Amino acid sequence: MRKAFDSFDIRTKLAIVAGISTTAVVIQHVYVLSFLLIISILLSALFFGDLKKTMKTTRRLWYVFIAIIVLQSIFNRSGSPLLSIGGFTLLTDIGLVKGAEFLLRISVILFSATVVASSDHREVVQGLVQLKVPYEIAFMVSVGIRFLPLLRSEYIDVMTAIQLRGIDIRKIPFKKKLKVYSYIFTPIMAGAINKARNLSTAMEARAFRAYPERTSYLMLKLVPKDYIVMILMLLFTAAVFILYYVFGFPGRIL
Amino acid sequence: MRLAFIAADDVSFSYDGRNPVISGLDMEIAARGFTAFMGPNGSGKTTIGKLMMGILKPVSGSVLIDGDDTRQLSLGQVGSKIGYLYQNPQFQIFSQTVTDELTFIPRLKGADEDDLMQEAERLIRLLHLEDKKDIPTFDLSYGEKQRLAIAGILACSPRYLILDEPTTGLDMVRKQMLISILKELLGGGIGMTVITHDRGFIKNFSGRLLKIEEGRIFEESI
Amino acid sequence: MIKPLEIRGLYFKYIEKGPDIINGIDLNLEKGGILSILGLSGCGKTTLCYCMCGIIPHIYGGIINGEVRIFGRPVEDMKLPTISTRVGIVFQDPDTQLFSPTVEDEIAFGPENLCLDRFQIGQRIDESLKITGMSRYRLSHPEKLSGGEKQLVAIASVLALKPEIIIFDESLSQIDDAGKVKLKETILELKDKGKTIIMVEHDMDNLDIADRVFFMDDGRLKEIDKDRAGDAIGLYSRR
Repeated sequence: MRKAFDSFDIRTKLAIVAGISTTAVVIQHVYVLSFLLIISILLSALFFGDLKKTMKTTRRLWYVFIAIIVLQSIFNRSGSPLLSIGGFTLLTDIGLVKGAEFLLRISVILFSATVVASSDHREVVQGLVQLKVPYEIAFMVSVGIRFLPLLRSEYIDVMTAIQLRGIDIRKIPFKKKLKVYSYIFTPIMAGAINKARNLSTAMEARAFRAYPERTSYLMLKLVPKDYIVMILMLLFTAAVFILYYVFGFPGRIL
Repeated sequence: MRLAFIAADDVSFSYDGRNPVISGLDMEIAARGFTAFMGPNGSGKTTIGKLMMGILKPVSGSVLIDGDDTRQLSLGQVGSKIGYLYQNPQFQIFSQTVTDELTFIPRLKGADEDDLMQEAERLIRLLHLEDKKDIPTFDLSYGEKQRLAIAGILACSPRYLILDEPTTGLDMVRKQMLISILKELLGGGIGMTVITHDRGFIKNFSGRLLKIEEGRIFEESI
Repeated sequence: MIKPLEIRGLYFKYIEKGPDIINGIDLNLEKGGILSILGLSGCGKTTLCYCMCGIIPHIYGGIINGEVRIFGRPVEDMKLPTISTRVGIVFQDPDTQLFSPTVEDEIAFGPENLCLDRFQIGQRIDESLKITGMSRYRLSHPEKLSGGEKQLVAIASVLALKPEIIIFDESLSQIDDAGKVKLKETILELKDKGKTIIMVEHDMDNLDIADRVFFMDDGRLKEIDKDRAGDAIGLYSRR
C-alpha cells in the first residue's frame, strides 16, 4: 500500500502539507489541533511509514513544551492559577493550554512534513520548478539536501579531532569550552568556503546560467488521483476554517 | 602472553545495525613499530582505524587501548595516548597561524608558556614548516596542511599514531618528505599504523602488513 | 588547419604584487591524443588548466598577458557556456563537482543549461553513460558511489556537453588502484573517439597512457621523454 502512496506527485504531497500546516498555524484551539495531529499521523503512516522516527523527534520537544507552559503562566495575567509557590504562580490553566497548543502545532507540522520526505529529492526540486519557483532557489534546496549531511559529518569529524587533542569537552570549565568551540569555527568555515567555491566553479564550467531559462529532462505529470487528493485537501481545509470561524465549532475551552 | 598496546577481541561493527562491516575481528598491535593496513575501497580499513581509536564503538567484542576498554574512555583520554590523522587534514587545523595551532591546546591545558613555545619550535623544525610560520593556515598547500596537522597531533605527545591514507594528494617529493618524517618518529619510539592502498609507500618501511578483505584480516610481510 | 588549443606567450599572476604563476608558456595542441602535464604540487598546473578552459579569466580574475585560443578564438572573447561546449574539465575532488540527486540528473545538468530539448538530453545521457560504462548507475545517488565511480559520473557529465577537448586536473589522485584502471580505460576510449585529452598529474604512475609529456616547473613547460619523467622530477624537485 505504501507504494501506492509513494506514486503521488510531489506537488500533491506539498498541497497536503501546506493545507494541514497552514491550518495548524492559524487555528489556536487544542481540540482542532488534536484532530489535525491524528490526521497528520495517519498521513505520515500512509506516506512515510517510519512513525517511530518522527515520534522520537517530537519527544525532544517535551522540554520546550514545559518551558512554554511555565513562561505563559508567568507572563499571562489572566487565567486561574493551578500551581503556586509562596504566592508566585508557576502554572495557570491558560499556560497549560497554550503550551499544549504549541506542542500539538509543532507535532502536526513535523508529522505532515514526513509526507514530503517520502519523495526522492530530485522530485522535490522538479516539483518546485514546475510550481514556478525560480530554479536557483529549487537548486539551493537540492544542494542543501545533498550537502547538509556532508557538513554534519564534517562537523562531527572536527569535534572528534579537537577532542582527540586531549580535550574532554564535557569536563572542562565553561569559559574554556567556549574557547574550544571558537577554534572549531575555522576548519568548518574553511571547509564550507572551499566546497562552495569548488561547487560554483564546477557548475559554471558546465554552462550554468548560460541563458535566463533552462529546460528540464525530468517532467512531472499530474494524474487524476493527484487532482482528486488536492481537491479533497482544499475542501478539508476550507471545512475546518468554516466550522471554526463561521460556526464557532468546537467552541471555547476557557 | 604478549601485552598489546591496542587489542581487538572478537569485534563486530555495523553502521546501520543490520549489515556488519566488520565481524569477528581479533588483532593485537604493539606500542612500537610500523603496521600497515591495506585493502580495497569499502573493505573496512578506515572503520577499523576508527574502532582502534574509540571514535567508533564495537557492537560486540571489545577494543582495549593500553588495557582500557574504549567504551570506558573519552576521546580526550584516547587522544592523549594515540594521535589520529584524518585523510583530509583540513578537519584538524583549528587556528589561523601555524604557531597558534601548535600552542593553543597545551595553553588550554595550562602548560608553561616557555615550554610550549619551545616545543612548538621543535615541531615546526621536525615537520619542515620553518618558512610557513607567518602564512595563514588557510593559504598552506595540501602537503603543508598535512604536516601541520601531524605537528598539532604530536603537540599532545601521543605514544602512537594512526594515519588514514596519508599519501592521498601528495606528489613524489612530499611523499618522500612524509616517509622521512615518519621514519624519524619511529626512530624516536612512536609506533604507528598507516591505513593505505599505496603499496609503493609502505615498501619504504619494515614492519607488519595487515590486509583486509571482506572484513577479515590476513597478515603478510611488507 | 585550426588547432584545438594554442597558447602564446602566456603569463599569469593572481595579484599585482604576487609571483608569476605562469611564466611564459607556449603550447600548440594537435587534435587527438593524450598530452600529459607533469609537475610537483604548487607549480601552477591547475592554474594552467583554468586558463585553458576559460575559468581564468571568466570566473577567477588575475593579471594575464599573452593569449589562449580555443579553435582559433581567444578565450577572453568567448562566453564560458560556449567554451564549455569546446573544452570540458574534470576536477580532482569527486565530491564537489557532483551536486545532483541522481547520476541521470548530474549528466542532464549541462544540456539543460543549454536549453536542449528532452529528446536531445535523453540521447546525450544515454551516450555518456555508455561511454563511461555507468548505465546501471543511472538512477543512483552520486554520494553513494565509490571515488572512481564518482569520477566516471563527472566525466559523463562533462561529455554530455560534447566538448572536443577534455582536461583532467589530477582527477586520479584521490582514486584507489581499481578505480584508476577503469578511469584510464575510459580516457583511452575517449581518445579513440577522437577527443583531445590533457591530463595534469603529479603522479608519474599515471603517465602510462600519455602520448606526450610536458614537465611544468616554475611556471614554464618543457617537453620531456615519457620514460625519463622520473629524472625530470629528481632534477627539478625542491622542498
